[in-house]
Amino acid sequence: MLIYRGLSRISRISKKTSFGRRWLPSHPLLSGASHSAAAAAADSSVKVLGCREAYSWSLPALHGIRHQIHHQSSSVIEEQLDPFSLVADELSILAKRLRSMVVAEVPKLASAAEYFFKMGVEGKRFRPTVLLLMATALNVRVPEPLHDGVEDALATELRTRQQCIAEITEMIHVASLLHDDVLDDADTRRGIGSLNFVMGNKLAVLAGDFLLSRACVALASLKNTEVVTLLATVVEHLVTGETMQMTTSSDQRCSMDYYMQKTYYKTASLISNSCKAIALLAGQTAEVAILAFDYGKNLGLAYQLIDDVLDFTGTSASLGKGSLSDIQHGIITAPILFAMEEFPQLRTVVEQGFEDSSNVDIALEYLGKSRGIQKTRELAVKHANLAAAAIDCLPENNDEDVRKSRRALLDLTHRVITRNK
Amino acid sequence: MLIYRGLSRISRISKKTSFGRRWLPSHPLLSGASHSAAAAAADSSVKDSGNISLSKTREAYSWSLPALHGIRHQIHHQSSSVIEEQLDPFSLVADELSILAKRLRSMVVAEVPKLASAAEYFFKMGVEGKRFRPTVLLLMATALNVRVPEPLHDGVEDALATELRTRQQCIAEITEMIHVASLLHDDVLDDADTRRGIGSLNFVMGNKLAVLAGDFLLSRACVALASLKNTEVVTLLATVVEHLVTGETMQMTTSSDQRCSMDYYMQKTYYKTASLISNSCKAIALLAGQTAEVAILAFDYGKNLGLAYQLIDDVLDFTGTSASLGKGSLSDIQHGIITAPILFAMEEFPQLRTVVEQGFEDSSNVDIALEYLGKSRGIQKTRELAVKHANLAAAAIDCLPENNDEDVRKSRRALLDLTHRVITRNK
Repeated sequence: MLIYRGLSRISRISKKTSFGRRWLPSHPLLSGASHSAAAAAADSSVKVLGCREAYSWSLPALHGIRHQIHHQSSSVIEEQLDPFSLVADELSILAKRLRSMVVAEVPKLASAAEYFFKMGVEGKRFRPTVLLLMATALNVRVPEPLHDGVEDALATELRTRQQCIAEITEMIHVASLLHDDVLDDADTRRGIGSLNFVMGNKLAVLAGDFLLSRACVALASLKNTEVVTLLATVVEHLVTGETMQMTTSSDQRCSMDYYMQKTYYKTASLISNSCKAIALLAGQTAEVAILAFDYGKNLGLAYQLIDDVLDFTGTSASLGKGSLSDIQHGIITAPILFAMEEFPQLRTVVEQGFEDSSNVDIALEYLGKSRGIQKTRELAVKHANLAAAAIDCLPENNDEDVRKSRRALLDLTHRVITRNK
Repeated sequence: MLIYRGLSRISRISKKTSFGRRWLPSHPLLSGASHSAAAAAADSSVKDSGNISLSKTREAYSWSLPALHGIRHQIHHQSSSVIEEQLDPFSLVADELSILAKRLRSMVVAEVPKLASAAEYFFKMGVEGKRFRPTVLLLMATALNVRVPEPLHDGVEDALATELRTRQQCIAEITEMIHVASLLHDDVLDDADTRRGIGSLNFVMGNKLAVLAGDFLLSRACVALASLKNTEVVTLLATVVEHLVTGETMQMTTSSDQRCSMDYYMQKTYYKTASLISNSCKAIALLAGQTAEVAILAFDYGKNLGLAYQLIDDVLDFTGTSASLGKGSLSDIQHGIITAPILFAMEEFPQLRTVVEQGFEDSSNVDIALEYLGKSRGIQKTRELAVKHANLAAAAIDCLPENNDEDVRKSRRALLDLTHRVITRNK
């Protein structure tokens, strides 16, 4: 991560930065060797939309360099931007507003709907963080403000509308969680009893519907029908993705294309379309809106692929220490799909199903012998790079908040790859 | 119904009608006596309730007086031409409904085959239900038709009118999708086995798919709503979904006091049954570019029609196709759902409340409740309340701005006819 930012900062060293603590340009690894290292590091499979550099996380050399720099320069550590802290205050405001938006007349419905918005149970709030950062990253300054008052009011109104997108996204997300838990007969979610476990399936279904309807009303209030269409389509995608997962034929279960399509629907569509909505509300061009979409899509896909890996490896690097919940539920994810390409006999095991836990062991054995885990990580890195590339292609902007947010978005593309839980 | 239309036609006899078969103005019961009969027939409780917001209505009618009832039957048999003039609201829109049904089936096509079968489960030919709501909405669309005053040439006028009609049909389709989505989810909640005479979806395909199919329909409805590019309409119909959920939750989670409260019951009934039709009617009006006042009239029509419909539904659950108690399916009371007839009976017989609070898992409590109900005027009072709401619905139509177009007048008559049919149906 540090190399990445270092390299990108060097390439911008001619531009004005008001960063408090400055990078050390004299570092041997960075001054002369930067661009060639970057070129060498470029993964040829990365599709770059007119960008200047492409990076890869997978080369062990860079990995080693990164760790060296980390330990050698303490000022570098301080510059580590925490994307989540950039937006923490705003997130609290959103959380409060979200809780008020799901107030319902009927007490039980209110408790059900706000179940997952309670303090302490809001989840990682990953999506709202991305969306708020994107909103700042795409900030279009009013070129000739009449006077400060006018500019502020417009900017505030825009910001409120973009925050609304973040709230709507959370409502849609939680609604889908509520329904999914009903579907999966899940007992726990986010460390507490799932709503259906605590209050019954009926109320969970109703609460999900309630959140969806509130999301629709909030959407309508934005008075932007393209945005409404985008987010309504997300709901449809969530449903389609879940159904794809439930009703696959044998061929489909073993198909990487089907899996990626399903993953897009289930995980990436929400964040990609919300990012695009943020861009549209900001009055950005269609081209920028597509970049925002691409960022969200690739970030979401990278996130899910690492999720798949962690389900096998857990916090350790070795297999079988993860929760293994995917495979135990018969859900075939990327690592197994890659392993099947190397070991076709694994397909027979997959088709038998995994209710028999000895099949799980056999599958893990094949997985260990294969490059399934590594290939999944590589695919995740590829998507993370695509996301980062999208940010790099955004129109130049000298505003410090904009640049900070863009750096934070880049940082997130790294965090989704390196997280281990 | 015939008296009603007869009276209303007489009051308009000075206006141009191009109705093929003309009413016989010399009928003794109708010529001189009409207005005074109407006045006498007016149910005083309707006027006194003060709930009616009738802005410019001239008469109010009641269906419940036996005298009128007898007269109605006399006319029915004496004049065959009157029978032919009987307008069937459903046949007025039958062709359009087929187009809607086809479009609806295409709108719920899904990538994933199982989802597609699930979603279109209730749109299949023969299982579309009574299609009551789309009928009302299409009739309302015509009834509120605003003619372009100075058409440049026929082509322009037709294109605009066609586009408007398509958008209004879209409201009808969206309404059906929302309605079926709520049915799917309700059936999951109620563990229902059958719906519309066939296996309920959850019974046939499992709860999971029923939940997903409902979500799918809702999302398709949202996308369709967005395509109308009218955010007030989006808000109206999104609010309907919220109301459906609230109503269902009210039904599931009542306290003892709430279950015995008529106000709570009417509020729940509005949310569960009437909100959908009232807000869609209002949406139809808004799309037609009508004033806020007319939009409210459309809303009132839908609301009162829906309430009347549900109240008669409550009665039929006790009486079935017979006039006597206990021949209906009794499914409400057996599920512990306390409806208007029982609520009225409890006002007369407070001791019935004790039975209600014990619950109805014990079927002997059902028998006791039926006994009290029979002794009380619960059924009659519920019918009267239904009639009151049907009248309010009819009054709303009468208050619509004058319009000489024959299609408009036909549709308004059909809407009036529906206010009668919801009262007199026996299944």
